[in-house]
Amino acid sequence: MTDQADLERGYRRLLASYPPEFRRENGQEILAVLMAGARDGQRRPGLAESADLIRSGLWMRLRPSVPRSARTVRAAVRLMYAGAAVSAAGLIIGLALIILDIQVAARGQFLGHSLAAYKQLVITVWIVFCLVGVSLWLWMARANGQGRTWARIVSTVLFVLTTLELGGAFTRPVSHAGSGAVVLYYGDAVLFAAGWLVGGAAVWLLWRPASDAFFKPPGSAQVLHEFHMAELDRLRSSRARSPRRV
Amino acid sequence: MILTALANGSQHGYGIIIDVREISGGRVRLRAGTLYSALDRLRADELIAVDREEVVDGRLRRYYRLTPAGTKRLADEAARLQAAATAALTRLNLAGGMAT
Repeated sequence: MTDQADLERGYRRLLASYPPEFRRENGQEILAVLMAGARDGQRRPGLAESADLIRSGLWMRLRPSVPRSARTVRAAVRLMYAGAAVSAAGLIIGLALIILDIQVAARGQFLGHSLAAYKQLVITVWIVFCLVGVSLWLWMARANGQGRTWARIVSTVLFVLTTLELGGAFTRPVSHAGSGAVVLYYGDAVLFAAGWLVGGAAVWLLWRPASDAFFKPPGSAQVLHEFHMAELDRLRSSRARSPRRV
Repeated sequence: MILTALANGSQHGYGIIIDVREISGGRVRLRAGTLYSALDRLRADELIAVDREEVVDGRLRRYYRLTPAGTKRLADEAARLQAAATAALTRLNLAGGMAT
């Protein structure tokens, strides 16, 4: 009996990797399946089993949950994940560029030692800036994937802001650190442009007529809530009715 | 595979695991995590739906069934596999015939 309780506690801990919403909905059921599949006297979840649960749980958290019927929104959400990847790549290239630049500056060839003194600050600001970018992509992917009406608008505003920045991406002073840095610099500019194009395509898809049905009109939250309550009532009454079986 | 397990009636999670193992002759052992990711996706795509819910040993047990779209998908997929298998067998027979 305590073996079973131990095992169940182990499984519960692993289920924590799932999104809370999914866990509420399916947690008990998965637990029942896991317990049914356990060997006699098993006290701890197996390694492969644990890996499978954690992998599935994390995947559930990350992947878009847009139904196949909303094709345009699905594509937009995927593009946003691609955008996040582009931003992450930009972070790395930009970081390489900064470090290269600072190394040259530290040798006193161009900007002198002043830039080198700000090394930590410049690198930190860059990393924070890029991580904010990646987070925005992921946040928008998630919120749009959930059909939030505001997310579509915020995405559009972000895209417009990026467009205003686009000119700046190509007119930044070229690095002082020679040809290697120039490659990096153009790499970064190309990535910025790629991110902009991806964002533009995503926003375009979000505003396609086919996407409209997916974004819930205001007031539908109430309808959804009522639906859930009715479902819950039905469940309660069916629980009360169904006899316990072993 | 999961759709096949549901083809002749609704099943609950553990039932699907057992069934898939049988269909595959013991080769495919679905794990609970994989199964529920797949069920969630199939539900989102409206290929399966919850048939009914029961409480067994104080735990909720859901039975899943194919939707008409799921049945169609399974039939299409089966037809495709059959066509591929037939093509392979035909060519093998042809090659065998030429060798003898």
